[in-house]
Amino acid sequence: MLLFRGNDWTKSLSPEEKQKVTDQWMAWFKRLTDDGKAIAGNPLERESKIVSGKNRVVSDGPFAESKEAIGGYFLLDVASFDDAVAIARECPGLPHGVQVEVRPVAGECPIASELKHDAQFAHA
Amino acid sequence: MNTQNQNGYMLLYRSDEWYNRLSQEELQKLINQNKAWFERLTGQGKAKPGRALERTGVTVSGKNGRFVMDGPFAESKEAIGGYLTLDVETIEEAIAIAQSSPGLAYGGSIEVRPMADECPLDVRARELAREEQLVNA
Repeated sequence: MLLFRGNDWTKSLSPEEKQKVTDQWMAWFKRLTDDGKAIAGNPLERESKIVSGKNRVVSDGPFAESKEAIGGYFLLDVASFDDAVAIARECPGLPHGVQVEVRPVAGECPIASELKHDAQFAHA
Repeated sequence: MNTQNQNGYMLLYRSDEWYNRLSQEELQKLINQNKAWFERLTGQGKAKPGRALERTGVTVSGKNGRFVMDGPFAESKEAIGGYLTLDVETIEEAIAIAQSSPGLAYGGSIEVRPMADECPLDVRARELAREEQLVNA
């Protein structure tokens, strides 16, 4: 999975530059989809709410405009982690300050894996 | 705030590895609760399959992606552990679903975000073009 971080980087761009990056980004996603390498992807709106704690408190997202805020994602279907990193390096937003987080998708919930791991040791 | 959104919502699970602190019984109970919770939501057509992410990865940055760094780090409370997409029309309903997530009682937080129909860059470029038109008019 590619997580695109940063949503304050477009401020310094002219409308023409913005249009250019957008077109490049769309063409990039289309090529990856056509090649069967991208299965899903979506930009996210800036609006953000955070739900947390036992009392399930709702607060405004602290990441409204920052370098860490997630602006969208691609879900990739590639054979290796290196392939995913190579694709991340093609991101048209990189020269403008976007950061791309590359994360392997888990086969099952890590909590379930943890449990199996514990059980294995318990029986050892 | 625009509470209606036809594109659905994304729940981003943010947490450290709090589940390492639970006993086997607590873990099993939570897994069962999670499973029932998710099956109920998918049965109602409100949730689509989500994915869990491994606690490893790199961050690529810089022109031509010349910087490749390890991280984000698993122990960070902000690290994203997985996501779920919701097919509901208001942020209130998306928030209510996030609040009903069984894992919240133990730790972590859930970020609720509307999914965009088009790239925010496109929208901003259009706004700027319109402003320019007004100035020239």
